[in-house]
Amino acid sequence: MEMDKLSVVTSFLHNIVVYNIPLLYGTAGEILVEKSGSLNLGVEGIMAVGAIFGYICGCYANSLLVGIAVAFLAGALCGLLFSVLTVTLQANQNITGLTLTTFGLGVYFFVGNGLKASGWPVMGNFSNIMAGFSNVAIPGLSKIPLLGHGLFNHNVLVYLGIAIAVAMWWYLNKTTPGLRLRAVGENPAAADSVGINVTWTKYLHICIGCGIMGIGGYYMGLNMSGSFNSNCWINGYGWIAVALVIFANWNPAMAILGTFVFGFFNTLRVSGSSLAAAFPSVLGFLGDIPTQLYQALPFIITAIVLVVTSIRSRKSSGLPAALGINYFREER
Amino acid sequence: MTEEYAIQLSGITKAFGSVVANKNIDLNVRQGEILALLGENGSGKTTLMNMLSGIYQPDSGTIRVNGKEVSIHSPEDAKRLGIGMVHQHFKLVDVFSAADNVWMGREKAGFRLKRNRYAEMEAIAKKFGFDIDPRKKVCNMAVSEKQTLEIIKVLSYGAKIIILDEPTAVLTVQEIQKLFTVLRKMKDEGHSIIIITHKLGEVMEISDRVAILRKGEYITTVNTAETDEQALTEWMVGRKVDLNIDRPAMEKTKPLLELRDVCIRSDEGTTAIDGVSFYIRGGEILGVAGIAGCGQKELCEAIAGLRPIEKGQMIHKGDNIVGLPPRVILEKGISMSFIPEDRLGMGLAPSLSITDNMLLKNYADAKGPFVDRKQGRADAQQVIRELEVVTPSTETPVRRLSGGNVQKVLLGREIKAGPNVLVTAYPVRGLDIHSSYAIYDILNRQKKDGVGILFVGEDLDVMMALCDKILVLCHGKVMGVVHAHKTTKEELGLMMTGSLDLTNKYEDKPAGIAKDSLFGDGQQKVEG
Amino acid sequence: MGMHIVKRENLPLWQKVCLYVGAVAAALLLGAVLLLAIGVDPIAYYNRMFTLGTVGNPIAYKVYANYLADLVPLVLTSLALSLAFKMKFWNIGGEGQFIMGALATAVVAIKLGGVLPTAVVLILMCLAAMVAAGIYGLIVAALKVKFGTNETLLTLMLNYVALYLLTYLMETKVPWNFLLDPTAVRPVPQSFDKMVKFPSIPLVGKFSLNVCVIFVVLIGLLIHVYLRRTKQGYEISVVGDSAGTARYAGMKVGPIVLRTVFLSACLIGLAAAFKVGSTGILSTTITEDVGWTGIIVAWLAQLNTWAIFLVSALVCVLHYGSTVAAATFAQVDSSFANMLQGVILFLVLAADFFTRFRVVMVKKGGSDHGNG
Repeated sequence: MEMDKLSVVTSFLHNIVVYNIPLLYGTAGEILVEKSGSLNLGVEGIMAVGAIFGYICGCYANSLLVGIAVAFLAGALCGLLFSVLTVTLQANQNITGLTLTTFGLGVYFFVGNGLKASGWPVMGNFSNIMAGFSNVAIPGLSKIPLLGHGLFNHNVLVYLGIAIAVAMWWYLNKTTPGLRLRAVGENPAAADSVGINVTWTKYLHICIGCGIMGIGGYYMGLNMSGSFNSNCWINGYGWIAVALVIFANWNPAMAILGTFVFGFFNTLRVSGSSLAAAFPSVLGFLGDIPTQLYQALPFIITAIVLVVTSIRSRKSSGLPAALGINYFREER
Repeated sequence: MTEEYAIQLSGITKAFGSVVANKNIDLNVRQGEILALLGENGSGKTTLMNMLSGIYQPDSGTIRVNGKEVSIHSPEDAKRLGIGMVHQHFKLVDVFSAADNVWMGREKAGFRLKRNRYAEMEAIAKKFGFDIDPRKKVCNMAVSEKQTLEIIKVLSYGAKIIILDEPTAVLTVQEIQKLFTVLRKMKDEGHSIIIITHKLGEVMEISDRVAILRKGEYITTVNTAETDEQALTEWMVGRKVDLNIDRPAMEKTKPLLELRDVCIRSDEGTTAIDGVSFYIRGGEILGVAGIAGCGQKELCEAIAGLRPIEKGQMIHKGDNIVGLPPRVILEKGISMSFIPEDRLGMGLAPSLSITDNMLLKNYADAKGPFVDRKQGRADAQQVIRELEVVTPSTETPVRRLSGGNVQKVLLGREIKAGPNVLVTAYPVRGLDIHSSYAIYDILNRQKKDGVGILFVGEDLDVMMALCDKILVLCHGKVMGVVHAHKTTKEELGLMMTGSLDLTNKYEDKPAGIAKDSLFGDGQQKVEG
Repeated sequence: MGMHIVKRENLPLWQKVCLYVGAVAAALLLGAVLLLAIGVDPIAYYNRMFTLGTVGNPIAYKVYANYLADLVPLVLTSLALSLAFKMKFWNIGGEGQFIMGALATAVVAIKLGGVLPTAVVLILMCLAAMVAAGIYGLIVAALKVKFGTNETLLTLMLNYVALYLLTYLMETKVPWNFLLDPTAVRPVPQSFDKMVKFPSIPLVGKFSLNVCVIFVVLIGLLIHVYLRRTKQGYEISVVGDSAGTARYAGMKVGPIVLRTVFLSACLIGLAAAFKVGSTGILSTTITEDVGWTGIIVAWLAQLNTWAIFLVSALVCVLHYGSTVAAATFAQVDSSFANMLQGVILFLVLAADFFTRFRVVMVKKGGSDHGNG
């Protein structure tokens, strides 16, 4: 009986990680994009494009690595499109991002439905994918009671996601290219005047950021075991990622924490009832909370964060000062 | 063998749309000299230098650096060629430390941010003779600190040719002297320096040679030692400055607008105007002189009700108008026009037509819910006709007009409203002589109609010829009010820099308070 | 020789139109290539799509009615958004405001339908929707005015808060939830089309015109007059062009922003009332993304009132037509419309660049004499 309860907690923790790390990919990618001064509202679409191409190519190649690489490339291509339009052609970022979402979801369903008609690759048939996506326990840490399995026994994409976020934090704060990137997002004219190539910096980071989102999309597809139906795999996670960027104050390390906070609510939505069943006296109320509240919470929290930070004025905010504004050198 | 110049520009032309900013300009800069680039506002100095620093690209012409023909497509190219520019509006990242602002543009900075970059920065600054806190964030810096940082930045990238765009505009006298010491030291070390300015005194003091631009065209270059201010002015404005501006003598009325002990804060929260008292009578033009940014903008905004008055009183025809909303102040007949540096920032809606801009202040007077465009169009036509505005039609967006015409539209509208107090700041900013005279004429006509005019200006010669009295501001404080026809440029200059204070010249009455002040009645009215 | 980019002063209208038409044509061409690649005759497909499948269709009148039913909320939402955009207030919360309006409409319809005369109920539905949506927009505007909160991100967040509120009400079967059908076992939305519904006017043959269409045209006319002729419209253009100038002219910028955003959100609420009042039922997908599409339409139409009608009509043809065509051409998924719309927009965005900028060649030359 005791063991059962513990296992409920452990699997709850495990689920938080497994089902929400894709959010971290989306968020980390969007942080990189926004730090270059571009507000990209196309996360949902980019993740979808990365997901569908990553999944299909990964299956055909029977290799998780190919899947990841293709997902990254597909995302990066969307990023390239966004860069060409907003950086070179000075198009409105909001409109371009929203269009990218429409377009991306269109591509996702067009390719998916098209392939479904001729023969959908079923994930279970591809041994390397299954093996690659299975859990890898971290020696030692995974043996910690209660937490071990929950936090330290996961598939490689979980570890990769955390690694990307940590590496990005280091890149932004501890490296010269990171410093230059932040300069471009804060004041492109200043960056330009000291010889930083603003256009190149934006292109590069938008593409990489979007590539990272693509991997996140692929991960979501794998989480759904590649079963393709009328609901998109991404299912609004792209939008939550946009929210999480704000919640994390444009800090990739904070994004890891934020992923756990948002993931906690998300997991309560899915398995809150099992917690309620395991601990009826303490957590029994969880069964009565509508699932939609959990879904709305990330957005409610972010809205509150937005308002509170604006009241406290932007001294400590990580919001890039030039976010959403296109840079044209000869502006007079 | 011809001399090898640091910079050789030939045939440079640059146009923005239909406006030609630089026309076929030739300019040479010698190795190790300080060249002053002199010209009125709007003569194309900054545009020309921006082409050297890679911000703009010339439409035609060639640039040679150290004898080699180059094309400068970006600031990166300029940097590689050893050209560095300190812009008038600093290009700094506010949230970064001083060190990071320099570090971000450093070549071979390494992938990892060095922990010792602060110490390294401090050492570099020391080497050039500056003292700066490398960890201090730009948003916490004073203006002069920011400028120092910009200069360190440029020097640390190894610039041999340094361009400074109006570096003294924001500095105090002491700071200017310090800057000049730095410039001379840089020159001695072999740097070539171009300093953009329109202040003759500074030109004479610091430069080896002076190159003069007028209305986008290159005029000449002379050795500073062989010229004088009179000659330079002639080249700058195109003819002998016989400023034949009328100053009609008028019967003066009682004070229309009185300010007493007024304090105003700037956007940054510092005190911009500190205990200022003065008054304007009907039928007089009161000039306001001072170094740029010593409280003129804040003063104008406060009079128009756009900026709160922290302390003190402002009386209009005996009524206290402190704290009244802009609309009510407008209705009382106080009109303010301020020409900011970008000319379009305040007072006009650039995308809207001339007609719509005419309506800006009186659109609410029309009966019913509709805007009276017929009236606006009639006003627009009248202004276009009377002030000779060059425009395709009354429906042309203001942004498509040239600078002088924009200012005529703005001033025309203000006068149309029939104010009794007209506050006008820099109304001739960037205008050619002809347009400027047109504006002086307009002001004088208003004066004859008994309007009280506050004229915030830049050019002392103009102010001495046009105004009846001149009030001199220095860092938000009044240095005194002098009669324009009795004063000298030297006296004004000393007051502007704070070395001469005439406020207590007449001990029998406090400065800036009228003998026949309406102040008393006003107070009773306010209290009653 | 080198080239670089400079701002353009003004481009004649016909050249602009040519650029945009060219962009759309190029997008359709790209779509045609894709169709060919999957073995579909693009001409037949486009033919079906752009005629909405009405050719030789005995129930074509139904198609027109359905098409107009889709068009009404889109036009109205786009018009509403254009008000806020004109003021440079980036209200991307159309979805959320629409949902709030839809909920309010349904509440009034279910509670008062059959109790009061239909006309009264319909008016109350509209009013309730406008107030609900208006307040939802007003919150953001107030925060923006008071604290400078980023309205783009905040309205984005509130979209989802509204969406999950709607989902909750649509999926939770509890006794107090009168929005669901009490007779059904599973959560099914309560239908009220028998009690209150916007009437249709019989016109030609079997085709009858929903009164909402007439209302929308009237509202379009009013908005045109409002923006072009009234003092409030004038204030909007000045604030949008330069807030500093507006303040200088004695306009109260804060209240103007609040008023305009409220009005914008109200109209989105009205769009929701028209939609819900015509379908007679609420659902979780009631918005059909008009809040999003409206942003794109308003922007594409460059905030011009009549262009909004035109662009919405075309976008609707694209959406509705592709659903129709998908029924005939089984191998082309209806998501083709989204892709095509995306491509069209990308190319229009690119074309837009050439209306604002031009690429010039840099000549070298000039005389070689100088000073010194």
